[in-house]
Amino acid sequence: MTREQVVRGGLLIGLYLFACAFGVGSAWMLLRSSWLAQSVQVGPWTGSTLAGSTDAGMYTRGRVALDGLLALGRDETMYFVARTDSAGQPLLARCHYAITGTPPPARWWSITAYADDMFLFDAPNRRYSLNGSNAHLDAAGMFRLDTSPVAPTTTDGQTLAAWLPTPSGHGNGGLVLTLRLYNPQSVLQAAPGNLAGPRIERQGACT
Amino acid sequence: MRAKQPSRSFWLRHVWLLLLVAAMFHVATVWLLPRAIMWRVMSGPMLQDLGGSNHAGFAPPVDASARRIVMPSPDLLYSICLLDLSHGPVRVSADPQWPDYWSLALYAANSDNFFVLNDRQAAGKPVNLLVHGPGAAFVTSASSAWQVVSPSGKALLLMRVLTSDYSAQAQAVEKARRSLRCEAVQP
Repeated sequence: MTREQVVRGGLLIGLYLFACAFGVGSAWMLLRSSWLAQSVQVGPWTGSTLAGSTDAGMYTRGRVALDGLLALGRDETMYFVARTDSAGQPLLARCHYAITGTPPPARWWSITAYADDMFLFDAPNRRYSLNGSNAHLDAAGMFRLDTSPVAPTTTDGQTLAAWLPTPSGHGNGGLVLTLRLYNPQSVLQAAPGNLAGPRIERQGACT
Repeated sequence: MRAKQPSRSFWLRHVWLLLLVAAMFHVATVWLLPRAIMWRVMSGPMLQDLGGSNHAGFAPPVDASARRIVMPSPDLLYSICLLDLSHGPVRVSADPQWPDYWSLALYAANSDNFFVLNDRQAAGKPVNLLVHGPGAAFVTSASSAWQVVSPSGKALLLMRVLTSDYSAQAQAVEKARRSLRCEAVQP
């Protein structure tokens, strides 16, 4: 075997190893992106229309396995996930956000804050969600939820009731908000894009 | 003596083969990922905690220490059965008598949710569900209100019980979810 043949053989082995890695890497990148996932966008909220369903294609199934394993079908539960605020800026754990909206048309609903690894933050007050049972509605029928490292206060110094603590020592760590709707009304199941998704607005400077 | 230079068709053939290999690894990764994650969930420490298949297990209330399955809901109490259907059907029964939302959901080995039953559908009656392995024909049984065929030989049953205030409702909600039973049906 000549030296040229050895070099050519090595080159081919390298190319085939690269092709294997490219195949795996491209799959991973696609599953982590929003490409090809059958989803609906409502403001900053993204909902998968086929999560948990036996109709889910392999890309949707793979994406749900990574970010929402053991999800229910949309006739039982609809899931909307927000990784940005309503201005399109990435959600950060160290910032203060106000989430406001009207109760969605479902039997029961909740908004939960997760770290960007999709697990719960350690909450000293053991409060992890705002939901249809504990949300207080104002005179206009609106709820408000705040997420921040420090308990936010009103102008007269009162601590806001609905506060989900997020860690301050998290650098540029992300924050993921999940809106769950249990037994959503049939009109919403048929047209998830009609959801009036809660607004997510950054409060003050984010240091 | 110099080796013969490979022809253009030699390289062209390898370009096509490289694309084919990349595509095969891409598809295999996407196809395998949910199955591998479910296999890990159904074969790992969770199975040991449950003491094996076809037994109900009751996970503690969700907090920041719950790190086995992504996006755990802090408003739900989870109970689990890993169903091994390879030796025959498994009977799932529950009588939660709980005023809030609860559901029983079955997941196949590829992570598909192929069956769900909630409190409204149960209408206050005890649940008696017979889960068969793939390809099984329904067996007429007066004692089973529901029968379902799993697309895979192993399946995961997840019971969700909504509790808006666990510390205040602990006694009642624990009684409700611990009515869950999973038992292999003797042939």
